[in-house]
Amino acid sequence: MNTSKRRLAITGVISLSLLAAACGSDSKTATTTAAPATTAAAAVTTAAAADTTAAADTTAAADTTAAADTTAAADTTAAADTTAPAGGPELASGEVFVTGSSTVEPISIRVGELAKEMSGGSLAVTVEGPGTGDGFKKFCAGEGDVTGASRKVKDEEATLCADAGINFVELQVGIDGLTVATSPKNTAVECLDTAALYALLGPESEGFANWSDANALATELGSKSVPLPDAPLVISGPGEESGTYDSLVEFVAKKIATDRSQDVVFRADYASSANDNLIVEGIESADTSLGWVGYAYYKAEEARMKAIAIADKEGNCVAPTDETIADGTYPYSRPLFIYVNVDKAKANPAVASYVELYLSDAGIAQVTDAGYVAEAAAKLATSRDAWSAI
Amino acid sequence: MALVSPSIKATTQAQVRASITRRDRNIGGLVLYVLLLIAVATTLLVLFTLLARLFAPALPVFRDRGLSFFTGTIGSNPDKVGIWPGLYGSFIIGIGVIVVSIPLGVAAAIYLEDYAQNRWYNRLIVINIRNLAGIPAVIYGILGLTIFVGWLEPLTTGKTVIAAALTLAVLVLPIVIITATEAIRSVPQGLRDAGYGVGASKWEVTRDHVLPYAAPGILTGTVLSLARALGEAAPLILIGAITGLLPATSLDGPFTALPMTIYSWSSKATPPKSVLGFDNVAAAAGVALLLLVLVFNIIAVIFRNRFEKQRIGL
Repeated sequence: MNTSKRRLAITGVISLSLLAAACGSDSKTATTTAAPATTAAAAVTTAAAADTTAAADTTAAADTTAAADTTAAADTTAAADTTAPAGGPELASGEVFVTGSSTVEPISIRVGELAKEMSGGSLAVTVEGPGTGDGFKKFCAGEGDVTGASRKVKDEEATLCADAGINFVELQVGIDGLTVATSPKNTAVECLDTAALYALLGPESEGFANWSDANALATELGSKSVPLPDAPLVISGPGEESGTYDSLVEFVAKKIATDRSQDVVFRADYASSANDNLIVEGIESADTSLGWVGYAYYKAEEARMKAIAIADKEGNCVAPTDETIADGTYPYSRPLFIYVNVDKAKANPAVASYVELYLSDAGIAQVTDAGYVAEAAAKLATSRDAWSAI
Repeated sequence: MALVSPSIKATTQAQVRASITRRDRNIGGLVLYVLLLIAVATTLLVLFTLLARLFAPALPVFRDRGLSFFTGTIGSNPDKVGIWPGLYGSFIIGIGVIVVSIPLGVAAAIYLEDYAQNRWYNRLIVINIRNLAGIPAVIYGILGLTIFVGWLEPLTTGKTVIAAALTLAVLVLPIVIITATEAIRSVPQGLRDAGYGVGASKWEVTRDHVLPYAAPGILTGTVLSLARALGEAAPLILIGAITGLLPATSLDGPFTALPMTIYSWSSKATPPKSVLGFDNVAAAAGVALLLLVLVFNIIAVIFRNRFEKQRIGL
């Protein structure tokens, strides 16, 4: 009897504490979503103090304090109308939903975290990354305020949006370079041209288990990279669902495959994964592997892979680096976009604030932070102009 | 051995015992013994490897982050992320599974065991339920997406934790029904007959005799099904759990759960500057999920022990 009573008491305590935890969350939610302007302003000042430690950028700290000064008089419509965004725009409170490319997702997450920090939690941004194609499907169905894309919107997607009466604005936020990589132990391959890569990866190379198997096709296509080494060919890369797959197919296979009236795809018989870590593992584990990942992942795991330089149209080998991708000399780089639902941005000041922050200097700094390459100043100015024109 | 009387000297006693046991031994028994030992050792080895693999990378997270790891939200920096949205989501899913699947499952089991007549359609229902228990979780995800996110949108408000909880409740319902059926079947017929003998109605016998007697078995099934529901990630992917950034937890908004958090962190590359890696926080989230399941299980075990004591009249 005594032990059972004690056990009951323990049960009570556990369930009470769990209940308390659950209720705690509720009240937290309530305060974050419905924070009045005055507390938001106070919170911004503390956020500014936190910022100086977090970001080793003194201008960012200065900007956040400036934002703290103006938040008291923060007018949401004014915030949306502000043209040239500075380091830290005034932020309206509210909720924003971001979907789209998993490549753009890390940038959107960082900007969202920045928004939370600078607004003291009143600008709540939810980010998911199902992929560029899925993102447009949702975006054109009216789900989501912003969608990220690792390529330009396709015609049929634009039609889908137009049919649903959704107006959007396209804003380039950065550049992603693709990196074709092999194992660090592979000394036989330093540079490949697009024709050789097509011969190795394209739809006509199914069954090639050795690099040299691709020699005939590569020669036929006029590749300067032949002869390819006599070594096992172990390929790992992203699967068809990935934007990284689409992009490399576009770079490598689109023109050649169309000319040869083949399907614009890659061979199906390689180890594909949606998980970049597994791809890196695959590239690392075989001595003469071939694979490709986004430049961000390559940079994060630089020690485990060797980047293969890509020959440009003149035949010069260009290795993927921050500089070659930014100035466009590296052949396999792609722009990153966000698409904003214009009507929602006009109706919801929180969406306008988020995009404003995205395009501000502090927001664009997140692009490099996420491992991508910042776009040239002129392109950024184009994006800002396109945004202020809506 | 009781065969040997205590008056015999210790040495002879040992000799006698040795001769008996030697005669009892045979090669087959020895081989079986070794095989069983290997089976147990392998199981334990796998378990310990798993725990070591989980705890070793998780420890730095708990040491460096402490409570902030439990109260923070998901994000880009493994030094700052936390599992609060996942904990909240998984907790609500646990409660939802208990509230929905246990009453439904136990009621269905009572019907099938005590009320349903032995007709072909009732046998068909039982066979179907047993088959449902073996259907892959991702199929339930499609079902959840269609029914709870689609048709029942007014109730669940779309891709929310409510829809997830209902989907997972449906997922474990067959398991609850099967274990509850077996627990009810194990109630001695004499107990029912005694109840009917003193003039109790069928409902009274079920309520006052069958259910209390079967309660420990039913709770065991509950523990198993709850652990299953809390560990599923596949249906949540389809329902649309968030893996990017989730600033606030709510019943009617975007949600995530611990298995999704673990899944997404496991496939993320660690940013170059951070101290902790995403593999560390993924392992720590795994430990947190283990703890959450443990808390639910402890509660169930405490209740089971109470019922068991009631049953033997303590």
